[in-house]
Amino acid sequence: MRSRALFTTVLALAGATAPALALDPQNLAGGRLRLGGEASFAMAAQDHGFFNFTDYRDSNLRMTRIGGTAEFRVSPRLSLLGEVRTDNFHTVRPYALYARIRPWSKREIDVQVGRIPPVFGAFPRRGYGAANPLIGLPVAYQYLTSIRADALPASADDLVRMRGEGWLVRYPLGARAPDAGFPVVASLNWDTGAQVRIGSQPVQLSASVTQGTLGNPRFEDDNDGKQVAGRLAWNPVPGLILGASGARGEYLARSALAVLPAELAGRTYRQRAWGADAEYSRDYWLVRSELIWTAWDMPAVRAPLIASPLAALAVMVEGRYKVAPGAWLAARYDHLGFSEIVATAGPISWDAPVHRFEVVAGYAVHRHVALKAGWQRNRRDGGVVHRQDFAVGQVLLWF
Amino acid sequence: MALLAPGAGRPAPAAAPAGSGMASIRGRVEVRRAPGAHGARPSVAELGTPAAAAEPDRRRSVVYLEEAPRGAFEVPSTRGTMDQRNEAFAPYVLPVLVGTTVDFPNSDRTYHNVFSFSKTKRFDLGRYARGGSKAVRFDRPGVVRVFCDIHSHMSAFILVFAHRYFATTDAEGRYRIDNVPPGSYTVVAWNDGQARQSRLTRVPDAGGVVELDFVVD
Repeated sequence: MRSRALFTTVLALAGATAPALALDPQNLAGGRLRLGGEASFAMAAQDHGFFNFTDYRDSNLRMTRIGGTAEFRVSPRLSLLGEVRTDNFHTVRPYALYARIRPWSKREIDVQVGRIPPVFGAFPRRGYGAANPLIGLPVAYQYLTSIRADALPASADDLVRMRGEGWLVRYPLGARAPDAGFPVVASLNWDTGAQVRIGSQPVQLSASVTQGTLGNPRFEDDNDGKQVAGRLAWNPVPGLILGASGARGEYLARSALAVLPAELAGRTYRQRAWGADAEYSRDYWLVRSELIWTAWDMPAVRAPLIASPLAALAVMVEGRYKVAPGAWLAARYDHLGFSEIVATAGPISWDAPVHRFEVVAGYAVHRHVALKAGWQRNRRDGGVVHRQDFAVGQVLLWF
Repeated sequence: MALLAPGAGRPAPAAAPAGSGMASIRGRVEVRRAPGAHGARPSVAELGTPAAAAEPDRRRSVVYLEEAPRGAFEVPSTRGTMDQRNEAFAPYVLPVLVGTTVDFPNSDRTYHNVFSFSKTKRFDLGRYARGGSKAVRFDRPGVVRVFCDIHSHMSAFILVFAHRYFATTDAEGRYRIDNVPPGSYTVVAWNDGQARQSRLTRVPDAGGVVELDFVVD
């Protein structure tokens, strides 16, 4: 009831403020300081299957998100950028905070240091509500698997018990308190480190070294390991972007390594990932697709052993068509599958495969105010809840 | 915004019949405030410095008669052009007559997607590449704010007039509106999204040149 009242309030506010929001993003100090912001409110039924949860507390389909961005150009070669966000008013946290340096003004080389945007894949950098024609996030970038950095399954059976329970994972080794697992790639937290980009058109090469991993970006290092990630993007003709990404980083926390037998604690446990993405647009059409393969190394502690790295394969295809000025239809299909392990009961995928289909109709009341309404279908081969569908709405304001 | 609607284009009761002694209204619009650098959102999600875009000339103003003389409304359909070059619309402000068709060529190597959600004209031209061009006909007077759906920093204005008594200032801020019949007029200086100043003037029966300067803050 409270959510419904809030939704109605936001909707009314959006309509009332629409003319005022004709304002451009605020540029101050002669254009050296730029300020922007985005507020979104999404409403859907309770997600009993935790299909859309981004952590233990919050579903992306029941989310009030308010964020502010700033960019201050200290000099032509140095800018400071930041973003703060609050999700459902829990806390206000820095989403991005970094320095952008262009060492040579006439060379297209940029260095970014701090809490930086992810290099891997295409979706994380357009995860803003205004850039997402749908309401949900791609499964690969949001759905919580049963992998944790600070807690470990001792056997394949421990892992199988957590199939489809990524929102609240508990294992016998390491931290005992239940906590959420990782997504394949976390798009709602950015990692900390340094990144370089070379070139812009038609070929762009980016690489980064960061504290965390794709699934577990971190502000502070928890294992003395670094992640190396890279992306090559090619824009052969206007409207077509092809990208390839790779990443490798140590993901297990010191606290988890400490509970392993000595012969296993000395090894390195990494998340590795490869990705391919494509975007094509023309006239009123926009089509995007991403393919991500990842694998986590896992110690084999007890029988039945987890004999090989735990792999996952995600595929996403989405399209948008503008049916009239300001009005669009969009759809996305997602699948996330997992490799097999051999448990006591026999071979089985180590987490429960997930399918998601979402369709959304959107309308821009104004350039800075959009309304979206859609339907999302989720299917999972495991967990307590195997299927759940949602009718979902979102109000979005940005400047 | 009071510009052009709904009173704009109404015949001015005080105007004499056209042709009795035409005059020119000319002068200069001095823009004292620093042109607002606006439009670009912080590029927080970028992996590096965004490509440099051309800065539109926001000092250009449009000067127009708030109410036009009788007989000023029979105007032929014309064509105008608003280019997309270096990730900026050129010109930044384009005054046109009702019935004008405006072409939007793309001169950049990237896609552009021109659109407007203005009440005067709501349109979306979709994405097209360099060398491509699409056109929109403007059938109602009013202000049309134009954007690019791909490049959020791109914006421009199209001012659609119901009469022909308007002029764009040159690089020095000078303007000239010709063939104005005798009568009393309110002359408006419009700059960067707003009617900044309006002044009352009288064109004498003998015609000639009426000097009228504006200073906008």
